[in-house]
Amino acid sequence: MKAKKSPAERPSRSMLFVPGSNAAWLSTVQVYGADYVMFDLEDSVSVREKDTARLLVHEALKSPVWAGVPVVVRVNAINTPFFRDDLEAVVSAGVAIVRLPMVTDAQMIRHLDAELGVLEGKYGSVPGTTRILAAVESASGVVNAVAIATASPRMMGIALAAYDYAMDMHTTHDAAADESQLFFARCAILHAARVAKIHCYDVIYADVNDTEGFLREVAVIKKLGFDGKSLVNPRQIEPLHNAFAPTPEEVERAHRVVAAAAEAEKVGMGVVALDGKMIDAPIIAAAHRTIRLAQVSGVQVAGGVR
Amino acid sequence: MRIEVDAVAGTLESSDALVRVSPAEELRIEVTSTVEAQFGAEIRRTVAEQLDRLGVTEGLISVQDKGALDFVIRARVQGAVLRGAQARPDWRKL
Amino acid sequence: MSGADGLETAVEDGCAIGLVDAARDARGLEQVRGLLKASGLGLDADVELFATARDASGRLLACLGLAGDVVKCAASAPEVRGEGVTARLMQRILDEASDRGRTHLFAFTRPGNRAILEGLGFHALAVTDDAVLLENTPFGLSSYVAGLARLRRPGRRIGGVVLNANPFTLGHRYLVERAASECDALHVFVVGEDASAFDAATRLRLVREGIAGLDLGEQVVVHPGSRYIVSRATFPNYFLAREDARASAAAGLDLQLFRTAIAPALGITDRFVGTEPLSPVTAAYNAEMRWWLAEAPLDAPPIAVHEVARLEVDGEAVSASRVRQGLASGDLDAVARLVPGPTLAHLRSLVSPGHRR
Repeated sequence: MKAKKSPAERPSRSMLFVPGSNAAWLSTVQVYGADYVMFDLEDSVSVREKDTARLLVHEALKSPVWAGVPVVVRVNAINTPFFRDDLEAVVSAGVAIVRLPMVTDAQMIRHLDAELGVLEGKYGSVPGTTRILAAVESASGVVNAVAIATASPRMMGIALAAYDYAMDMHTTHDAAADESQLFFARCAILHAARVAKIHCYDVIYADVNDTEGFLREVAVIKKLGFDGKSLVNPRQIEPLHNAFAPTPEEVERAHRVVAAAAEAEKVGMGVVALDGKMIDAPIIAAAHRTIRLAQVSGVQVAGGVR
Repeated sequence: MRIEVDAVAGTLESSDALVRVSPAEELRIEVTSTVEAQFGAEIRRTVAEQLDRLGVTEGLISVQDKGALDFVIRARVQGAVLRGAQARPDWRKL
Repeated sequence: MSGADGLETAVEDGCAIGLVDAARDARGLEQVRGLLKASGLGLDADVELFATARDASGRLLACLGLAGDVVKCAASAPEVRGEGVTARLMQRILDEASDRGRTHLFAFTRPGNRAILEGLGFHALAVTDDAVLLENTPFGLSSYVAGLARLRRPGRRIGGVVLNANPFTLGHRYLVERAASECDALHVFVVGEDASAFDAATRLRLVREGIAGLDLGEQVVVHPGSRYIVSRATFPNYFLAREDARASAAAGLDLQLFRTAIAPALGITDRFVGTEPLSPVTAAYNAEMRWWLAEAPLDAPPIAVHEVARLEVDGEAVSASRVRQGLASGDLDAVARLVPGPTLAHLRSLVSPGHRR
């Protein structure tokens, strides 16, 4: 089995939603190559099926079918009657990441952190190993994004969810409209993610048949700097991964930057230069990211990928 | 665990299983499967094992399998039994 | 939080599954009526809701109805292929029934649909040329029959009577008395549906008390109604206003079940029924009885059928409807001559003192 990568190393372009009550999807979507699969216990599961979805997700997590696949579970919001039972079901099965919806402030994260600690103890998991992905879906969440993202060492990512956010802003989410509606929110969580050094994920694109609109939105968020996007259908995975793949030129340049840095270190020079320009740490870090992304995306460069 | 009321869990969709339980004085299990030939025996084993883990010794259990994986069958049996017993799961013992 | 976050699984088979509430969606109901009619079916008045499959333009492609715990009124447009749509409709029906606390369901449909329903977890109980009755558990009928078998009485000639007894009259008592006099033991079944003027619990009580007055002791066993004898599942026409030739098809399922499952459990050899002067549906049922119980080539011993002439009072056959008419008009003195003591006492309790003429 491959050694588990830390969130910083693992590609995190795609997070595929799977309703936790859907046995067929839970049995098959691991083959589609999403970077993360998210079993949902919240909105896609009817109240009547909350109990059985919990059992399905618990058993799926324990099953060899899902061993080694990065799984996130979206539990119900902290103030619902389902929250605690959801946590018990998934921590007892050793879930890697818990996604908490409707996060409005850091206090919620601290509360979840404490709950996870108790349950890790109860079920014999290594303390601190259950990570948190916070979903921001309201004005409060957006303005508190930095506090949320830095609220706990368990935080591995912050995501934006558009529908409830738009309602909170007294409008309705319209994917076809121009992106200014979500601009502030996107920037807020992006900044929070960068300050906290965690991942950030953009909103889902609900119209699975509108590839053009989907790719337009992906281009926007890639330019902004997002790490990835939540998805609702396996069909969206490949277009997303392709859009996020660096171009061969970008990859080639990244290799040259890394080579220059390695060379400078070898000869003991404190400053790295390439093509007459100074290259500092952020550029080198970005180059490493590009190369990792290239590897995961299967981008080839003349002369081979290192 | 004792089954007190009729209960059902699962769906008839492909890759799922529909499990129905009702109270009885004896234990009767009936399994029908779309993949009876290849997996019938294994499914019956999984069901029996799961009932054993839940401590179910009496009840009428019918399983309509539509090609579900092992973990789905286990979860559906658990679901129906817990609903039938009107009990909450002990996550350590499932 | 609405489901508007787009996580519903994509529409498959090009169909969207929805619901028509029979009480509120007049337009939807008309569309369903049209689809059923095109399949040669009527829209039964007791169906509460329909699961529907529609194409992208909203046109109705298939429907499946739920009436209490009976799934029926299934129809689909000719271009609908495959079992996928039926499975999704059935899943919706199961969900709606489960929401209403009903997990043990019956299905009443054309024999051609038998295989599909068996693939959906249903088990056939009885089949005629026109209809098949199924239930969604392998243990329903067999559990019921196992329970009945514990109430067997010894004897060579064992009788059976099925009564609605709405309410229990001297006519019913006379039938029971005559049947008991010809048998070593008699089993009396009281229809269990709450679809009559007097509810099932009351009717059962009046039957027990009325029969107790005959002092037959252990010789007579009174059985509360079940889903398997003259119920909305086995004999829907008895409970619907429909008065047409299809009454015979529905009676066949009920009578078949009686002969193949219920009678053998109790060793019933003879069935007794009163002549039916008034209700066409009951008259049709009685006519079918002779065929299904005594003559049809079924894999179960034949049962002798005896029609007992109705008891007459004042030159008229005693019937429960006469009693109900008397009750409605408040004329309990006329009614008193038609019912035994316990029934009369109950009727008096229903008529408030101020309104008695």
